[in-house]
Amino acid sequence: MNQNDATVGRWLAANGPEADVVLSTRVRLARNVAEVPFTHRATPADHEQTIEVARWALADSGYMDSGKFLEGDELAEPQGQYLIERHLASPDFVASKAKRGFYVSNDETTSLMVNEEDHLRFQVLASGLDFPEAFTAAAALDEKLEGQLQYAFSPEFGFLTACPTNLGTGMRASVLVHLPALVITREIEKVLRGALHIGLAVRGLYGEGSETKGNFFQISNQKTVGQTEWEIIETIADISRQVITYERKAREYLMKKLRVEVEDKVFRSLGLLKGARVLSSDEAINLIAGLRLGVALGIVNEVNLEQVTRLMVLVRPANLQAMLGEKLSAAERDERRATFVRETLVHQ
Amino acid sequence: MKLCDLCGKSEATVKVSQLDKDGKVTEISICAECARQRGFTEVEKLKANVAEIITELKNRIDEGDSKLICQTCGLSYAEFKKQGRLGCADCYVSFHDQLVPLIRRIHDAVQHVGRTASGGRKQAQQKMNAHRLRQALSGAIQDEDYEKAAALRDQLKRTEEE
Repeated sequence: MNQNDATVGRWLAANGPEADVVLSTRVRLARNVAEVPFTHRATPADHEQTIEVARWALADSGYMDSGKFLEGDELAEPQGQYLIERHLASPDFVASKAKRGFYVSNDETTSLMVNEEDHLRFQVLASGLDFPEAFTAAAALDEKLEGQLQYAFSPEFGFLTACPTNLGTGMRASVLVHLPALVITREIEKVLRGALHIGLAVRGLYGEGSETKGNFFQISNQKTVGQTEWEIIETIADISRQVITYERKAREYLMKKLRVEVEDKVFRSLGLLKGARVLSSDEAINLIAGLRLGVALGIVNEVNLEQVTRLMVLVRPANLQAMLGEKLSAAERDERRATFVRETLVHQ
Repeated sequence: MKLCDLCGKSEATVKVSQLDKDGKVTEISICAECARQRGFTEVEKLKANVAEIITELKNRIDEGDSKLICQTCGLSYAEFKKQGRLGCADCYVSFHDQLVPLIRRIHDAVQHVGRTASGGRKQAQQKMNAHRLRQALSGAIQDEDYEKAAALRDQLKRTEEE
């Protein structure tokens, strides 16, 4: 098998600004439709109506021409898990018992959840550190939707959301960064404390409550009231630029002082990925993260950043099964995963 | 050491301000014993009472808040406090005064800045207005307020013709 069998979102192309450190930029907006109770208080009829309104609004503004809308059984497992692994839908959305609708653009940069905690939650993902790209696209969808429906809005509190933590701009902006050198040099806490200090949140690869697998960290805003969208974005972009500088300095330091150790870590990762016959999802992610550092540092040239980044998604359980077109047990998965990774890396 | 203004024997430890009929304030310093004899030692106890009164008032306010109910969706403030989610957009009006300090705690700000809703496309807004008027109209008819109903009907007609 070769990896062309599997497509991944355009945002995983690892071709955006600062891609050696920043995997992706994400802007998410929360909106509610006026005069309809929030999702958890709404009736099934309300839920259906919101789905209908959203689908109609997306179709009328041309979004359906370059994407698809899923609902009902189309969102049942394993599709839900597949979307979570691709960072397109939230675990809460997938677990929800309410009637839901879901839109995703063909290139997987734009997605929209209907009847999550808020009626509409949509996001745009961009490769690397690229808020202009992500925010402009999110704002464009926001305007299109607003042309078709009336939002719950108050001049005092801004966009009204089910939970007051999302009030105001309704915006959560984040960057997903890979900071292996800061972790190895134990500088990571200092850097992350700086982000926390100015009111930003730091989480793991899969957002809230997830661990920091493979030294990937998500930095996002916590406050949504009292600052404009661009002020919020500037704060995160500023911190991101600092973090990028620190990480690169740490990488330089490692290459100067601990070159053998770094090379050892990188080539062990590559060796295991190429040679293992059984690979769990977590082990694969950690090894791929090690390999990614090697590629970013130019130690490994046989694969590029994009190939490594795509692997991160494709080795996840639901994505692996979708790609292979088979339902597999955990043991079967670990075996097939190892085969897939091996063939991908050996046949470059 | 300042001696008591009343007995002149012991150390003065309590300051007492007196207000006479002409509104003139005289301040005297007295000792603990004289203060006790004249009933001024209640000061400490009074302080404790103030704290109790404040707590009691706060409890009563909280209790009152918990009983608040959003007229639009029926969510009570107590339910909101339990689950952290509001029921509808109007909850922000119904629980406004309770939410303001909470929002300030979360965001360090209360006033929204940034993008605003334009209120939707004019057509969407008209649809919404017509819907509201129709609801008000059926309410007026139910209440047998025919004068109001007639006015609403005219308004609805104008909205639909726009």
